[in-house]
Amino acid sequence: MRTNLADLPAGKTAVVVGLHGGYGAMRKLDAMGVRPGKKALKLSSQFMGGPVTVLIDGRQVAMGRGIARRVLVDTTD
Amino acid sequence: MPRSNSPEGEAKGAVFRVLLMGNPNVGKSAVFSRLTGAHVIASNYPGTTVSFSEGLMELDGQQCTLIDVPGTYTLEPLSPAEQVAVDMLEEGDVVVNVVDATNLERNLNLTVQLLKRKVPMVVALNMWDETLEHGINIAVEGLQERLGVPVVPTCAISGEGMKDLQQSLKRARPGVLTYEEDERWHLIGDIIEQVQQVDHRHPTIGQRLSHATVHPVIGPLLALVMLTVSFGVVRFVGEGLIGHVAEPLCNWLWLPVMQGLSDLLGSSGFIHDLLVGQLVDGQVSFGESFGVLTTGLYIPVAAVLPYVFAFYLVVGVLEDSGYLPRLGVLVDNVMHRLGLHGLSIVPMMLGLGCNVPGALALRVLETRKERFIGATLLAICVPCMAQLAMIAGLLREHVVEGFLAVFGTLFLLWICLGVAMNRFTRGATPEIVLDIPPYRLPYWRALLQKLSMRMKRFLREAVPYVLLGVLVVNLLYTFGVIGFFGKLFTPVITRLLGLPPEAVGALLVGFLRKDVAVGMLAPLGLSLRQLVVASVVLTAYFPCAATFVILFRDLGLRDMVKSSIIRVVVAFSVGGLLNFMMTGLGL
Repeated sequence: MRTNLADLPAGKTAVVVGLHGGYGAMRKLDAMGVRPGKKALKLSSQFMGGPVTVLIDGRQVAMGRGIARRVLVDTTD
Repeated sequence: MPRSNSPEGEAKGAVFRVLLMGNPNVGKSAVFSRLTGAHVIASNYPGTTVSFSEGLMELDGQQCTLIDVPGTYTLEPLSPAEQVAVDMLEEGDVVVNVVDATNLERNLNLTVQLLKRKVPMVVALNMWDETLEHGINIAVEGLQERLGVPVVPTCAISGEGMKDLQQSLKRARPGVLTYEEDERWHLIGDIIEQVQQVDHRHPTIGQRLSHATVHPVIGPLLALVMLTVSFGVVRFVGEGLIGHVAEPLCNWLWLPVMQGLSDLLGSSGFIHDLLVGQLVDGQVSFGESFGVLTTGLYIPVAAVLPYVFAFYLVVGVLEDSGYLPRLGVLVDNVMHRLGLHGLSIVPMMLGLGCNVPGALALRVLETRKERFIGATLLAICVPCMAQLAMIAGLLREHVVEGFLAVFGTLFLLWICLGVAMNRFTRGATPEIVLDIPPYRLPYWRALLQKLSMRMKRFLREAVPYVLLGVLVVNLLYTFGVIGFFGKLFTPVITRLLGLPPEAVGALLVGFLRKDVAVGMLAPLGLSLRQLVVASVVLTAYFPCAATFVILFRDLGLRDMVKSSIIRVVVAFSVGGLLNFMMTGLGL
């Protein structure tokens, strides 16, 4: 199912399919390993629109909720 | 290869330069401290605010310079620090690309970009020991063949492989790899597939803890424990060093000398008062005499240095263990309400040590709005450790209520002012994108190196200014300036703030040094209410001169004037409010 990293429930794994945000933030995500084809495990999102943390390649990457919304993913199950 | 290995080449600018480059958090500074000796300096890159460390290293019997370049993910600069990394690349002779072997794929992204630049380089596969735990198997020979440059497995913390790395520098050569930009990840994937094998790995305790610290419920609780423990340790170590080391040493070694000097100078007179200060009950008092050689030396060395040491020790551990980015994630939410983002907690925390590095660290903030809010909050609400140590000394008899009142007020002010400025300042606050490194035990060598650099910097900058401050205080008294301003501002000082007219002296000196200013309150015999009001007003009305200059340069005239108006209005209205409230409460 197509969703994004903000809406993906914590504890679920999904495959990144596209980055659709601003240039700078997306380049940064790309360099940190968040890019199409990568499996991402959502670890947590902080309360009240706080940042989202995902595990990719065994590393944690945190991003603002708005940015997470622009990272499209497909759930695997 | 060495461009100049003749002794004449030793002249500045011709020294062989080795650059340490790599992603953030790959153990670069541990490699740096292994390869360099004691002579390490931190400096700012010319024309920027990005700082880097530089040290000397022996290579083939020749001295060369080793530079710890700011960490970067790519050579496509996305931040000022990354821009510096790219600029420095032009000035280096050979690059040591430090790579985290447990995270090869992401790290190779920078490696292949460096190879494409054709700079002579070697690759250090750092954290090699951890690959075993993670079930990662890397074929070093194969990797070396693909990259076309020497690859050396290292573990900087244990020192393993460091000799080999140094030896390999002789074999450094430009890469042969070429690729099209859009093929980069494809190429990296190809290399990884060929040289790396990963067995299934169970999450380690560190990883589980790492997930817990960003959990929305457990995380903040852990953070609270963490910060409480940190402040407890700072206070315990700081007070312990003052009570058991600094004070006894001063009293045994320096007091007899000063007492002798006082007798020699006839116990009074202009020179006596300038150097030794006023005698208290016929005795020299380090806290209250206010001579250049008594209080002027005592404040930075005995009263403040122990706290500065304790603070930077704790901050160093928090930085090197990898906790700070997690704290950044947890507070991001709150910080956005103040018009800042999570990582701006770092300048604020550094500001608690000294406002100057705090102000410098504000430069990582991207937009004008963030820098304005950050600078104003730092200048008003964040006291530095020099000031805190002195306040701690003054409030010794009312530690709990005094600290609660001072910090409670400053913290509330920080929140309210931030929310207000967020509403009324135009501009945007970008969201964070943040790599969270795994927890690691801080490496003591790198930790001590950083600590000693920060202490040296404090002593270099603080001691002359404190001496100057005390000198100025004495001259102001002698020429009646403090008396004059005391009369002029009596209504504000006594009516509004409820302080004695002499406190105006502290406010005057506070422009220069906060610790000296707080020290001037000691002989006045203030009540708890007066101490709290004076501490808050002294924190808020002006940052020290050094911080002011940096903020002025960064914010520009218009924003600095705005920020200053906010500061003065807030400082005196909050001071007055505190005075009336505490008087009302019968304090």
